Parts: sequence; C-alpha cells; structure tokens
Amino acid sequence: MDSLSSSDASARDEDSVVLSVTSALAKDALSYFQSAKFAECIDILNQLNHKKPHDPKVLHNMAIAEYIRDGCSNAKELLEALNYVKKQSEELAAAAKEQGEAATPGTNVSVSKDQFDSSVSILNMAVTWFHLHEYTKSLSILQPLYQNILRLDETIVHQICFLLLDSALACRDAVKFLTVFGYMEKTFGVGLGSQEENGSTMQLSSNQVSKTSSLLSSSVVSDTLKSDLTAVESSLCEENLDYDNVLAEIEAEKRMKHVGHIPTNNLLKTLGERSILSVDLKLELQLYKVRFLLLTRNLKLAKREVKHAMNIAQKRDSSMALLLKSQLEYALGNHRKAIKLLLVSGIQKDAGTSGIFNNNLGCIYYQLGKYQTSATLFSKALRDGTSLRKEKPVKLFSLSQDKSLLITYNLGILYLACGKPLLAARCFQEASLVFYRQPLIWLRIAECCTMAHQKGLLEEGITSSDRSEMRVHVIGKGKWRKLMMEENGSVELAGSAKWPKLSLALARVCLSNGLYLLSGLNDSKSDLQSTLPLDIDETKEASSSDHGEANTNSDLKEAKGGMNQAIIQSSLSAFKDIKTRENQFAKQALFANMAYVELELENPIKALSAANSLLQLPDCSKIYAFLGHLYAAEALCLLNRPVDAGAHLSAYLLGQDDFNMPFGQEDFDQWRMNVSYDCEETWDSSTGNARDSVFLKPEESRGTLFADLAALLATQGHYDQAKPLIAHALSILQNNVEATVTAIYIDLMLGSSQDALARLKQCTRVSFVPGTLEVRR
Amino acid sequence: MASEDFTEVPKPSEDFTEVPKPSECERGLAQHEDPSMMIMNKEETAILLSLLKSDLRPIDDVLSEFSSKISRSRNFIVCSSLSVLLQDLVLLRGTDRIIAFAIMYHCYSSQKPSSNPFVSDMITAACNEQVEKSERAFLLHLLQWNSYDNAKEILKQSAADYIKSFDPSTHDFPELGELQREYGDKADPGPSSHIFAEYSLSKLLHDPDVPRGCDPNSPEFDVQPGGNFKIGSGDRDEAISGILGSLTLKGLGPRWIRPCPPRFPVYQSELLWIDPDNKHELVWDDKMCADTSRGATVRDLLVKGLKVTLSPTEQEVITTELANDPKLVYHCGITPRKLPQLVEHNPQIAVEILTKLINSPEIVDYFTALVSMDMSLHSMEVVNRLTTAVELPKEFIRMYITNCISSCENAKQDKYMQNRLVRLVCVFLQSLIRNNIIDVKDLFIEVQAFCIEFSRIREAAGLFRLLKSLE
Repeated sequence: MDSLSSSDASARDEDSVVLSVTSALAKDALSYFQSAKFAECIDILNQLNHKKPHDPKVLHNMAIAEYIRDGCSNAKELLEALNYVKKQSEELAAAAKEQGEAATPGTNVSVSKDQFDSSVSILNMAVTWFHLHEYTKSLSILQPLYQNILRLDETIVHQICFLLLDSALACRDAVKFLTVFGYMEKTFGVGLGSQEENGSTMQLSSNQVSKTSSLLSSSVVSDTLKSDLTAVESSLCEENLDYDNVLAEIEAEKRMKHVGHIPTNNLLKTLGERSILSVDLKLELQLYKVRFLLLTRNLKLAKREVKHAMNIAQKRDSSMALLLKSQLEYALGNHRKAIKLLLVSGIQKDAGTSGIFNNNLGCIYYQLGKYQTSATLFSKALRDGTSLRKEKPVKLFSLSQDKSLLITYNLGILYLACGKPLLAARCFQEASLVFYRQPLIWLRIAECCTMAHQKGLLEEGITSSDRSEMRVHVIGKGKWRKLMMEENGSVELAGSAKWPKLSLALARVCLSNGLYLLSGLNDSKSDLQSTLPLDIDETKEASSSDHGEANTNSDLKEAKGGMNQAIIQSSLSAFKDIKTRENQFAKQALFANMAYVELELENPIKALSAANSLLQLPDCSKIYAFLGHLYAAEALCLLNRPVDAGAHLSAYLLGQDDFNMPFGQEDFDQWRMNVSYDCEETWDSSTGNARDSVFLKPEESRGTLFADLAALLATQGHYDQAKPLIAHALSILQNNVEATVTAIYIDLMLGSSQDALARLKQCTRVSFVPGTLEVRR
Repeated sequence: MASEDFTEVPKPSEDFTEVPKPSECERGLAQHEDPSMMIMNKEETAILLSLLKSDLRPIDDVLSEFSSKISRSRNFIVCSSLSVLLQDLVLLRGTDRIIAFAIMYHCYSSQKPSSNPFVSDMITAACNEQVEKSERAFLLHLLQWNSYDNAKEILKQSAADYIKSFDPSTHDFPELGELQREYGDKADPGPSSHIFAEYSLSKLLHDPDVPRGCDPNSPEFDVQPGGNFKIGSGDRDEAISGILGSLTLKGLGPRWIRPCPPRFPVYQSELLWIDPDNKHELVWDDKMCADTSRGATVRDLLVKGLKVTLSPTEQEVITTELANDPKLVYHCGITPRKLPQLVEHNPQIAVEILTKLINSPEIVDYFTALVSMDMSLHSMEVVNRLTTAVELPKEFIRMYITNCISSCENAKQDKYMQNRLVRLVCVFLQSLIRNNIIDVKDLFIEVQAFCIEFSRIREAAGLFRLLKSLE
C-alpha cells in the first residue's frame, strides 16, 4: 500500500510512522492469537483495519481469528473470506508489477512482493479443505503453491509439504506423494543416507532393534505393559480372543496412571510447535517413507524401513513408529503381533487418538473373523469421536482428527459381512459424504439393496422399472462435457438431500454410478500420468522442452535419490498393478450385479446388455464370466431367443451331456487377491476374508449349468433330453427349489405325475400350506 | 459400450417387453400388475361360485348377472381361473361346465371366436372324447362351427334344460386338427410373453392320498347336511372356491437358477486402517504490517544497477544480502525484462542472481531474455561464467551460440565492431570447448562454417585448428 504510492521523501516519512504503529499492533495481535485470546486479537485487528483499510493480510488474519473464535463452525464463510483475500492480493500484486515495470529506471521505486503474497491464504484454504476431508481439493489447491515453492519461506514450505504428503496419502496418490517426498528429502538435506549407510546403522543397532521388536525386554516398555502383553498373549494363545479381556487389560492399564518410561505420545504436536530439528525431520520423513511403502504394499521394504524408523525414534517419540509397525504386521497377517504393537504404541491413552486405536483394533478383529468384537470396537471408536467433537473449545484439529466417517465405513463393511443390509446401508450412506468418489462404496450400497431384497426386507415389491429412474447422459469430455436429460424421467432419486430407501432401483442407480466413476478413473489415469509433473523439475521440462531435457532428467533422478530409485519405481508399478487389478474386479462385480438387478427388475434387455459388457471385459475372472453367461442366457430366454441362450450355456459343455467346472477354487483365491506374504502366524483360512462372501462352490456352479440347460430344453419340448440333465443337477443341488420345480415340470410333461409328487415329497423345502380362502355356503 | 450390445437385440424403441403384445392388450393385462390383483378376491369367488350353480336359470340371465357384478377388467382373470377348473374333468358338474364355458364365450363375444384368448380351451374340450357329448355340442355352437349356429337359442335355456333336451344322435364331431386349422394361430399362444411362461403348466395336481379310481361325483363322500363327518368326505364347493381363490395367472414352468452375485471381497485396502495425521493448523500471516524494508537496500541498489555500474562496495552489499537471505533473490525486483540492463552494467551481479534462481521455474524466462538480448562482451561474460557455476540446459547454450554467430554475420556495416565481435565469440567458444561445456559434434558444421567465413581473423583460425585437433 504505502510504499506503492510513496515516491517523495515526506510521504515516506509519514509511512514509516504509520508503519511503526501498525507493526506494533500486529505484534500484539499475534501474541493474543497465540495465547488463544481471540476476542482481544480481533479488537486489535479492527484497529489495524482502520489504519490500513483493505489490507489483504489484515483481512486474512481477521478471518482466521473469527473462524477459530466461533468454534470453527463456519468453514464456508472462512473459505469465501480467504478466497477474497487471495484474489485481492493477486490483483494488487499484478498492479504493483505493472507499475514497477513501467517505472522508468532511476526513479527509486522498489516494490516488495511480500505484501501481496497470497501463499498463506492459499495454504489456509487447503488446510480448511483438508479438515473437511476434501483431500483432492486440498491437493489441487496446493499444487500451484508447490510449483513456486522455492520462493517461499522455509516455515511455510514445511507446512505445505507435510499437508501435501498427508493429502496425497489420504487420496492414495502414490505418484504425487513421491514427488513431494523426493523434493523434501533433497531440500531439507536431512540426508536419509545412502542404502549402505542405512545398512550399517541398522547393523550397529540391530541388537537394540531386535529388543524393541521383541518388545518385552525393551527398556521403553513399562512393567504394566509387560503384564498386559503377557495377558493378551496368553488369551490369544488360548484362542480365547475375547474382547472383554482385551478391554479389561486396557482399562487396567489406564488406571495405572502414568508410568515412567512409556514413550511420550507426541503425535498431537503441531508442526509449528515441533522444533524443526533435523532429527525430528528425519524421523518424520522416515515415517512418511514407511507409510508410502505400506500404501504401495511393498511390505518387505516397509519392514526394513520401519526398523530404521524405530532406530531414529529411540528414546524419542516412538508411538507413531510402533503404530506403523503394527500396521505392517496387520498387513502381513500377523494379527497377534499387530495387537501387541498397537497396545505398546500407547495411542489408546490419548483422548485424541483412542478412536483410532479402537478402529485399528477393530480392523484386526475383523480379519480374524471375530465380527462381534470388531463391531464393539468400531462402535467404541465412533463414541470416542463424538466425545472429541463435544470438547470445548472446539479445536480445528479435532475436526480433521475426527475420523468418524472412515470408521462408519468400516462399520458398514462389518454389518454387510454380518448380513445386516439395512444397518450397513445407513453406514455407507453416511460415509458417502467422504467416499462418494470411490466406485466401491456404490457397489457396497447396491449389495445392501440386493441383500435386503433377498432377505425380503425391501418394502415395496418390484417397482415399475423405468419410472423410478432418471437417466442423464454424459456426453463429450473436458470442456465440451454436456449433460443430456432423458425425457420421461421422474426426479425421484436425483437432487433429494435425503437418501432414498433401499430398493432394487436404487441398486441400479448405485451400480451405474460406480461404473461411471470407474470409467472416469481409467481416463484420469492417463491424465495423471501426463500431469504427473507436480515435481518442479518436470514442469520445467514441460515448459522448456527446447532448453534441455537431459538436465531435467538428471534432476529428477536426484529428486528421488533418497530412496533407491529402482525399488521405488518397482513398488510404484506394483502398486499400480494391484490397483488396476482391484479396479478390474470391481468393474466385473459392478456389471454382474447390474445384470442380476436388471433380471430381478424384469428388464431382460438391460440385463443382457450388462451381461454382455461383463463378458467383453478383458481378463474377466472365471467366476464372473460364469455369472455373465448365466445371466445372458436367462435374459435371452426371457427375450424368446432360446438358441442364443443355449449358446451361452454350451460354452461350458463337455461332450454331449456333461459340463466342465466353470471355475475352480484357485479362481476364488485370485479374486480375493490372497497374496501369500511371509505370514508368520498361521491362522485358519476359513476365518476372516475367506468366508467373507458366500457363493456357489465350483461343483454347485456345475449343477446350476445342468439345471438351467434342463430348464431351457424343457421350454423347447425336449423333455427326454432334459430329464437326465435335471437328474444330474439334483444330484448336486439336492434341495434346490428351482431345480426341483423344473424336474417336476419335466415329469408332468412326460406324463408321470406320480414322479412329480414323489419329488415334492422328497424336497425338504416344500411346505404344504392349507388353502387360504374359505367361502362356505 | 452399452450401445453395441443393443445390436443383438431389437432397438429400445421396438422393445417388445415394454409394449404389451396385442393379445395382452385385448385381455387387459398390464405388464407389471400388482400381484394381489392377479388373484380373484373373496367377493368375486363367491359371485362366480353362485353363478356356476345357477343351473336352473336361463344361461342368458346368468351371463347378464355376471356382466353386472364382475368388472370387465377382471374378465381375463376370471376366465383363466375357469380354464384351470375346466381342465379337470370331474371337478365341476356338467351344468357348471356349461355355464363356465358360456362365461368364457360371453366375455369375448364381441370379437370373432378365433380371437378369444381361451379358444384353445374350448377347442380342446370340444374334441375330447371323454367330455360329455352335450357339452361338446354346446361348445361347437359357441364357436359357430359349420352347422352349429344355434348359440343364441341355446343360451335362452337353462343349463339343466339344455342337457336334458340334448339329442346326441343328431351331432357329428370334428377332429381336433380341423378346429385348430379353422381358428388358426389364435388357438395357440398362452397368456404370457416369454418362453418360460409360455410353456407353463397348470399348477393343479392330483393329491396322492386320494385314490386314483375314486369317483368324486358319487355321493358317497359328499358332506351330508347335518350328517356326520366321514373320513374322505369332501365338499366340492370348498375345493372349487379354494382353487379359485388362490389361482394366479402364472402357470408352473421350468425355473431358471439365478445365483446372486457373490459379495465383493473386502480387500485389505478397503477396510480403513487409520494413522493420525500431522496437525495442520491455520496459519497466521505474520507478514501483516510487517517491515517491508526487507531487502529494500538491495532493491534500491539494483534499480540503480540497471543504469550504472555499481561500485565494488555496493556490489558487495548486494552479494552479502543475497547470501544472508536465500529467498531475497525472488523479491529483489529483477524481472526477466530488466535482466538485459543489469547484464550490460553489472554482469557479475547478474551472474550472482541467475545462479541463485537456477532452480526456480522462472529461470526459463531469464534464459530467454539472455538469448534474445543484443550480443555483447558482457552478455557473453555472463553466459561464460554461468557455464562454470551451474549446469546450463544444452539447448540454451546451443541457441546462444547460434545467436552469437548470426550477430557476427549481421554486423557487416561496421567492420571494426564485427572483428571485435568475432574475436569475442571465438574466445568464448574456445573456452566452452576447453571446459567441456559443449560437445563440438553438436555444433561442428555451424562453427566450422563460421571459422571459414572469418578465417582472416586470427582467433577464428585458432578456433578452426582447435576443431580440427578434436576431430
């Protein structure tokens, strides 16, 4: 403001007087802000605003102070204010630049760009979005800041980078994470050391490491914990994994108050408070490295790096390192170890993190197949979250730390596994606030619908198919993208703030949402690769391709040099592979469910289209291919095209009258992505994930083919051919109602109603009910 | 993707599952009707039952009562139920059967007999040897087959009278095939639209506990009014009303097994393990009303430096300030546009600033400014110094050299200036080559041509020799 207009000396003098007054006020405001006296702080800011009207920085700090004073309740207002400040700063900066350029050299005009720098307000916008769990938004806001990061002060650079790392992790964006991480390693020069160096330190302290990992002899573990662990361990050994036991142990430990050497829990320090000692930074980066490796599921390397992290963390704050170690063991399937480490990490003791503790323990119990315990833990985690939110004064931090929607999602998964579709759907619908961009959540809600349908929990019967649906076609891409409404649609599902009740029609909407998101994911994947250069070196390359590529390439290597380049790349590509495979399976599941739902809605044309899409997918799992053929065949039957239907079934035909196994047990393993890590603990594979989804066994699927072919032949009058087939089907699927009905039909058509009656009597799923209507004279 | 799939099936507009078949329209059957509406209700059952029993009233009378009590939209459901009852030859009495068929005929009497959806039932019964001849003749009258055209007269009688007055000797009966030909295709399709239902069967089965040979018509097991209950006794009306009350339109067909897709497995990434985030607080902007004099001296000096060469002391002030505050270089006010002026007057300072900016994304603009400024001793000095201080993009150096060479060629009017320039360029190039900054191969032809053109100048000849020695 001032120096802008000051070209003569007297004005400059006046300015300096104003400056000294205002800067004194600014200091006062800051100290009030730091001591959380927001009312006083705002008073001073108002005075400043009189002295320097429209100063963007005053407005900025005012917005922040007011937001915190009001209990962080109105994020929208804050974002608007920050956006206004940002625009204002940019305009002023542009004006100043013009003036500076236009000024004839010699007139001593010098402008500091500092005063119009909008980076702080941009950072604060990103922070706000982060707290609202809008991680992608936070990432995209930070991106331009990151590109100009060199000109920013180191303190703010730290904050930007760490926020970027956390956002990237939350988005599971390994590539973005890596670029930022590489930059931090390089710039902050903490020198995580070459691999050799790591190796030597590791060897030097390997003794200590093994101590920490065995945990019982480590000096940091208190006696109480020791007894806890033995108790927990013994209870585990007895396979008597009782939630109450564990809880009792935890409670007992809580009552012991603070005991000497328990590692202090530093998790909740602010970055600002954290002295940026190089050791701290080193530990911080090492922990992030482990989180990256866990994200990309490079468990082998993660194991090594987490040891290194434990080394750095020794006698400092090791709770995070222990937590990551627990996560590693969880990922490896060593659940007992994971529980131990989780307990030792001590995060259950802090009100801010006890919810996280309960959630993670719930995850472990879920994997162990102990759904009851898991449910108790998740609910407890949610309660911890609510009590955190009720805390006064509301801290902004507790907002971001409020993971209740994530826990709610977990609870949804659990309810679904327990066969409680209505509860599960409520959880998913709540969690959709955060996860609405994830295709999987839509699949899950659709699964809730079909499960509820099967259990007869849906209120309405089959609703008229097209009336409850509104279709909007998305046409074109990018800036040309248009939405075209299909006429004759009712607005029942769209735009209503409340979630509609579960129904098959809802399932259909959810499934198409999921498919849409998945196809978008594939598109954006290529986008991502082209916009990958969040890394400054690569942007440079992009804008100066004619200036030197070799150079930028070498820079790139340097940037990522901290971790072994080859290892990182391989774990990145492995991660991409896993992601791709998961998405492929998800797509197959979405199409299969779509075909099923359309059949249930008596809509064979759409069912056929979904089944065909499923069958056309490359690398379609045999399980889903089987379903695809079956659904397509049924839809074709309903469309009076028995010959085409037969073609789908005969794909599995072996000779004249036998069927191949449509899929084998190994296909299930592939589908569940059961990777055999070096799991140390053996646990019954029938627990947990394996029994997660009940489906036809391979042999039963073969029986289904027999039965369906028999039904098809019967409709065409080939009863003699159908008869042995249905007999075969019934020998596999003894009590199947559909097969029995088909068999009865065939018997009747062949004139042997005695046989049909015999079948009715044999089938245990027939009930003879008395006639319902009585009209007596 | 979806549009491709439609190639196999009729276009959506021709979607025949959504548009009911003509025959369905005639029957008043909507596609997705409420299942409870597909069954006859209690009231309708009672009405129908009493009508069937009115064997002493004129059939016309019965029919008009039927029309007045049963809504037209329910005709199809009533007739379907009757059709099921009629398939069992003993369930209904002879008179009941006559009335039942009369109702079936009456419901669709406004159309030709061949378009009656239940014509197949009538034909089958008319040709069935086991059916009473009186009934078969009655049906042929209803169908208006050949000489049978007396329906109107017959309907004036009561059912009982018709049977009593029936003279079997005057009738001959056609073959099934004959009738089917006559009433054509209409005699075939069932009530539903797809093959499962089309081939569906009556759901009514004979109870295995009732002996096969048992004649339900014999009065032996009828419930006698006021009489004692006998094992095996049954009430025909109760059976009929029970059947009527629970019949639905759909018949028994083969059933397709439609497995539900398995629940998607929970991958490890789906169950959310939570790590605490770092604490990200809102940041106070401490630049508010801060002393803007940061770097003011440097900025002022640099503004001066655009005009005149700075004194060594002034230069030192700038160098130290820049070293003390690594971010200052971004705020010192030297933009790419101003760079050429600084290069001309204070090349050392320019090198200092460029070296510090080398990692900034904006360095490209500074390079561009450097390449496009007029060639001079100072600009060459700056580039030369930069090459030793930092690694410059190869493309930039290449472009700069090309620029140098063309500047020499263009400076024809001033021979003195040209000589000076050429010598400078030669020395510059020699330095670059000696320091391995450039690879001669990249520029060989260009530089060689340059040397030959200016071979009169000593330095050019020297450069040429250097080139040859490297070859």
